[in-house]
Amino acid sequence: MIKNFSKLALAAGVSAAIALPASALAEIRIGIAGPQTGPVAQYGDMQFSGARMAIERINAEGGVNGEMLEAVEVDDVCDPKQAVTVANRLVNEGVSFVVGHLCSSSTQPASDIYEDEGILMITPASTSPEITARGYELVFRTIGLDSMQGPVAANHLISLEPKRVAVIHDKQQYGEGIATSVRDTLEEADVNVVMFEGITAGDKDFSSLVTKLKQADVDYVYYGGYHPELGLILRQARQADLDATFMGPEGVGNKDINTIAGDAAEGLLVTLPPSFDEKEVNQALVKAFEEKGEDPSGPFVLTSYTAVQLIAEGIEQAGSTDPFEVAEALREGSFETPIGMVSYDEKGDMESFEFVVYEWHADGSKTAVN
Amino acid sequence: MVAAHNLKHALFCAVITLVISWPIMGLKLEAVGTQITLQGADPFTWIAIGVAALAVFLFQLFREAILGRLGMLKSLNPMADRKPMPQEKRLKLESIGLTLLIVLALIWPFFVSRGSVDLATLVLIYIMLALGLNVVVGLAGLLDLGYVAFYAVGAYTFALLSQYWGISFWMALPIGALLAALFGLVLGFPVLRLRGDYLAIVTLGFGEIIRILLNNWTNVTGGPNGIGGIPDPTLFGMEFGRRVKEEGNVSFHETFGIAYSGEHKVIFLYLIALVLAVFTGLVIRRLMRMPVGRAWEALREDEIAARSLGLSRTGVKLSAFTIGAFFAGFAGTVFASKQGFISPESFVFLESAIILAIVVLGGMGSQMGVILAAIAVTILPELAREFSEYRMLIFGAAMVLMMVWRPQGLLPMRRRQIKLSTGE
Amino acid sequence: MQDLLYFGQQLINGLTIGSTYALIAIGYTMVYGIIGMINFAHGEIYMIGAYTALITITGLATLGVTWLPVILLIALICAMIVSSSMGWAVERVAYRPVRGRHRLIPLISAIGMSIFLQNYVHLAQGSRNIGFPALIEGGFQFGSSGNFQMSISWIQIVIFVTTFVCMTALSLYISRSRIGRACRAVSQDLGMANLLGIDTNRIISATFVIGAALAAVAGLLLGMYYGSVDPLFGFIAGLKAFTAAVLGGIGSIPGAMLGGLILGIAESMTSGYLSGEYKDVVSFGLLILILLFKPTGLLGKPEVEKI
Repeated sequence: MIKNFSKLALAAGVSAAIALPASALAEIRIGIAGPQTGPVAQYGDMQFSGARMAIERINAEGGVNGEMLEAVEVDDVCDPKQAVTVANRLVNEGVSFVVGHLCSSSTQPASDIYEDEGILMITPASTSPEITARGYELVFRTIGLDSMQGPVAANHLISLEPKRVAVIHDKQQYGEGIATSVRDTLEEADVNVVMFEGITAGDKDFSSLVTKLKQADVDYVYYGGYHPELGLILRQARQADLDATFMGPEGVGNKDINTIAGDAAEGLLVTLPPSFDEKEVNQALVKAFEEKGEDPSGPFVLTSYTAVQLIAEGIEQAGSTDPFEVAEALREGSFETPIGMVSYDEKGDMESFEFVVYEWHADGSKTAVN
Repeated sequence: MVAAHNLKHALFCAVITLVISWPIMGLKLEAVGTQITLQGADPFTWIAIGVAALAVFLFQLFREAILGRLGMLKSLNPMADRKPMPQEKRLKLESIGLTLLIVLALIWPFFVSRGSVDLATLVLIYIMLALGLNVVVGLAGLLDLGYVAFYAVGAYTFALLSQYWGISFWMALPIGALLAALFGLVLGFPVLRLRGDYLAIVTLGFGEIIRILLNNWTNVTGGPNGIGGIPDPTLFGMEFGRRVKEEGNVSFHETFGIAYSGEHKVIFLYLIALVLAVFTGLVIRRLMRMPVGRAWEALREDEIAARSLGLSRTGVKLSAFTIGAFFAGFAGTVFASKQGFISPESFVFLESAIILAIVVLGGMGSQMGVILAAIAVTILPELAREFSEYRMLIFGAAMVLMMVWRPQGLLPMRRRQIKLSTGE
Repeated sequence: MQDLLYFGQQLINGLTIGSTYALIAIGYTMVYGIIGMINFAHGEIYMIGAYTALITITGLATLGVTWLPVILLIALICAMIVSSSMGWAVERVAYRPVRGRHRLIPLISAIGMSIFLQNYVHLAQGSRNIGFPALIEGGFQFGSSGNFQMSISWIQIVIFVTTFVCMTALSLYISRSRIGRACRAVSQDLGMANLLGIDTNRIISATFVIGAALAAVAGLLLGMYYGSVDPLFGFIAGLKAFTAAVLGGIGSIPGAMLGGLILGIAESMTSGYLSGEYKDVVSFGLLILILLFKPTGLLGKPEVEKI
């Protein structure tokens, strides 16, 4: 009997332990959902530091309609399964607004829950077009879409009058999405795309691919994916004397690519959102980040900051904390934010989001290309 | 003389400990700008390395004495020499306990928050998976490292059926499970004549191949974009969403005239998962006592003896493999429905490793142990977020330690224990 | 002509990868030959070798050492020492206590060890990809047609030569030396070897140490050739190397060499003529086919089921 009793006690203990308390709503609670641990935690850090800063500054100025903002931080590890778990936890906590998630594959299942539960979500980092393509009322973003970035890159390539272009991607949602959009735009302009091929993310050996590119005699290579693989491709291409110019999306525009590719990173073309931290109007904000010992130059810091700010301004305009009314206000208004003027279309995408083509240098710096 | 030898050995072990921990832990490669530099670790790490080396040194030096003490401790344990309860009494108590547990599980979700119920659904999915894998690994002794492939087959079957033909959860549930079982049968047929460790590698290969194919077959499976918009299960045509998504269905809250609450859906899904998990457990419990279950264990214990008694090796192994795959398909369908969105990244090797860790920690073959391990493995990282960083490290270490000290698991399978105590 | 050169270049690429697979495969094949278990953690030992080499090279650069042969030699020695110690410790902690138990038990213990080591490095060094300096640069071209030149780099040559030397030395060592003879005796009959006065525990430890040292050599070479390390890359490389060992006949050292080369060529031809995304499908498919139709591999001896 003792044994069975202990089993019961254990079960009761476990169920009590995971029955998370729903606390009272004294303030406006904003959920921040992104990876704090796991392989992409470094991007998650950008998101959290941007959102925290916005909440701090808004509270310092007296909050929103007299109410203070309070952050509820959750860690989704960028895993779709964890994303659903933390989304439900945010529902528990009585949160009405969420800034997140980071990875598109987490944002997508989590947004199903938010939409169902009447929670407004603004993702500062997920670029998959699918997220806003489902007719949801409460889903917004403060970042451009893969389908916006692709054409920018492709148009720049077209202006360079390439003879033969190869488009490579890493067979992941982000990389393949952008690469497909680049290829389609190039083919519409009758550019000769001689190769469209996937690689395995996490692979190290690209010597066969490089040989293939050499054989195909390409003068431009577009790579959809992240910096670890492109860094290796650049380096191995240099080793094999492949004479082509490479181009990639913002996922490769990271100083880490220089540690891998070394000199071979010189001349790489990258499409990036304009460096918001270099804008005149943002200098006070940049200083505030630097005083905290944080780096505002990451691609998702100011987009997260903006997401929080938009929630606050939406609440002020709507004069209510009801997410549906705030969503309405966001769709109608246009807002002055650190990432520029923001106004939304019906789907919840920004009406314009600028991408700039940069040339990357061997010392990790970049210069804008016209 | 012995002491001198011990001292030498202990010193050697301590040096080795330093060698394997100092460069990797003590010197961190950091990118500063575009250069890679070395940074020394913080003092805490240095102290930890030193303490570890010292501990190894002392342990090896006084190895005999320490092990002797540990042996004495074991005899102090009041549970150690406790006689096993009589068979009948134990079974009765066990069934009472299980019934109580199930009743508790049935009423519990109505009193706790949504997040907990959702987490509990995930636990139930893992219980189903672990019970299924337990048949393959624990009972039949076939190490399957690609179990997640069948899970993926179940999940993708439901997702694809609903996307292309609008088939509902209830129709897809048996189809998904049967298709997964069919996969098990087809894959199992050629590979099951391989020896244990080769089998492990081949199943690992199959798991990876299935994932890569799902990822590359973009036209059908959406490739890395996955499949979204997977419908929730319905209750006699009643939907749980705020708005009815499909023609001809009505919504649950309108039918009963109650206010909409998102919790209904979560609880309903939880109850479905609970029923399926109980079903899985009961079916496997029955099978274990049937001739086929005995045959699994016989083959695990001694293949040659079992074969000379006339058991068909392929037939018995194939049945275990297929049944395991069947329940993985079940779990996959529930998972797809809970997530509403699936992509190949949910079905990586790590997932197979976690399920295997659950089975190993719980005690291979033991149902109760596996259930408790599934609960522990899923909930602990949620309780302590700091722990989640170290989760896989601890799993790995636990798998090794379990194999070294207690290969029968935390809650070993009963029948085997009785057999041993009656003198074999 | 260009097609031929292209084929030749892919062949060189394949042989390079294959050589390193062979170096890693030795560890699997020797351990399997002697105690009949798959040392799942061997891929992680290779990864740790690569990390140690990188740490050493970075450290030497900080100290201002610039003479290449010295850097390479010290990096190699450090990597070999750390990897070998790791191999020794892994055997002591995870495999020796479970030796002789049911087949599944050492295998699960090995998988646990592999997961543990992966996460150990992940926690200590972070999950970032870290660039590995290309110490040996340049190469020479031969044969060109149109815009295509076939070329071979110095590092590729170094990889071939090192692999060949290591393999030959190891074969000689196993067939001539006392420890080598003891190794062979233990692999034939562990109990009997023990009775005849061979310290079998020592021999088994030696096998792990030798395998790990060769993995460290592969770690340094591949780090320089490819250009980056991360905590996860050992696992996949280990699987490939294991495939190579099985392909050539597990337990046989020339078999590991042969299997490695075949696998490397198969992979580079798949990427070269088909598509890179199917590379892993082909290598795992090859493994499954070999195991189904010729479980003893190309050069392995048929195993008799003992009753």
